[in-house]
Amino acid sequence: MTQADSEHAYRGQDYEELAPLFVEFADLDNEDRRRAELRDKLVTAHLPIAQHIARRFSNRGESQEDLIQVATLGLINAVDRFDPQRGVDFLSYAVPTIMGEVRRHFRDTGWTVRVPRRLQERHLSISSAISTLSQELGRAPVPSEIAEHLGISRDEVHQGLEAGNAYRSSSLDELLSDTDEIPLGDAIGSPDAELDEVENREAIRPLLHELGERERRIVVLRFFKSMTQTQIAEQIGISQMHVSRLLARTLSWLRERLEVEAPPEPVTDT
Amino acid sequence: MSASHPDRNRASPEDAAQHIESAEAGDESRVVEVRVAAAATQLPVMRAVAGDLAMRADFDVDTIADLRLAVDEACSSLVRLAAERSQLLGRFRTEDDRLEFTAEVTSTDPSGPRKNTFSWRVLGALTDTVASSVQESDSRDDGHVVRIELSKGRMVHE
Repeated sequence: MTQADSEHAYRGQDYEELAPLFVEFADLDNEDRRRAELRDKLVTAHLPIAQHIARRFSNRGESQEDLIQVATLGLINAVDRFDPQRGVDFLSYAVPTIMGEVRRHFRDTGWTVRVPRRLQERHLSISSAISTLSQELGRAPVPSEIAEHLGISRDEVHQGLEAGNAYRSSSLDELLSDTDEIPLGDAIGSPDAELDEVENREAIRPLLHELGERERRIVVLRFFKSMTQTQIAEQIGISQMHVSRLLARTLSWLRERLEVEAPPEPVTDT
Repeated sequence: MSASHPDRNRASPEDAAQHIESAEAGDESRVVEVRVAAAATQLPVMRAVAGDLAMRADFDVDTIADLRLAVDEACSSLVRLAAERSQLLGRFRTEDDRLEFTAEVTSTDPSGPRKNTFSWRVLGALTDTVASSVQESDSRDDGHVVRIELSKGRMVHE
């Protein structure tokens, strides 16, 4: 199964026949024993979706068990809150609900290593100094300029920049951007045409499509459109340090996935 | 002849010796060497050194971040090619206006990193120059020293 397929794998399964149960479930009184029974049945039947979503976020520092638990919680919430009268199918409602739950989980555990509050704050002030200075200078600032701007030492700037790299690279709100958060300036979203000369494009393409829209866009802008991180930050509306983290994580994720799915081919002389 | 660039096609022990000598004969304070096990778990070390040197050279924040990414990408490629239990050697050289990085591993595969890959494209986009080379290993009969050399200069702003 390719990644592109897996994206839609749970769509292909026959959850349709569960739809009438939701109607019945929604009409039942909270005290009704039939309701608890139906709830169990609906949650259990949709578990593969939660597991699938949890799997999508593996390799990002959280244990698989934790992720599945969090995703299952999201699924239960989705079952409880789904209103079949609203004319959308359960999957369309459940997938974002489960993702939201996982995203919150990551957001609540922000830094990969314990970074003192003071350093976190310095990291934030440096991040905004970079953005201010980039605007003023029309280019990315150097550490000494940041130090001068903030009235702190260069060592302190170095520490703050380093701390930025310790910020959890898998914070989910960075990882999977909601479609409605994307500034839709131009239609750069698909790197397909750009990949024509890349030998392993058949392996890369589905992976790029699996990325969040924002990550895909950053990859295209940086590696195919030669924009700098500062320029990308400005275009997307996030900080340069954030772009930097997203790129680092995306590249590392792509490497991991390529390794799993396309082990090095035997060498042939061509 | 430029001793700092070893002959990429024809490698003899003399060339290798000359190369090392030239690195040592220069301003040693500009060279940092890091030797770690050729394993993905060791890459944060290389990345951190790259970032630190680039920060201390007062490169702009884009260049600092790109160098970290490039060193990570280059070393990851090499680690995949590395023979079991071999080491990854990283050599950083800070010039006034640029950082040069050479990484090498010993591999049983003489073909070196493939060029028309996504990874190589990424490396090219992140750096000013990138090249790879393969030499016979002096120390292992079935070994080949696979190298990736890259460099990136500070942005010039008028």
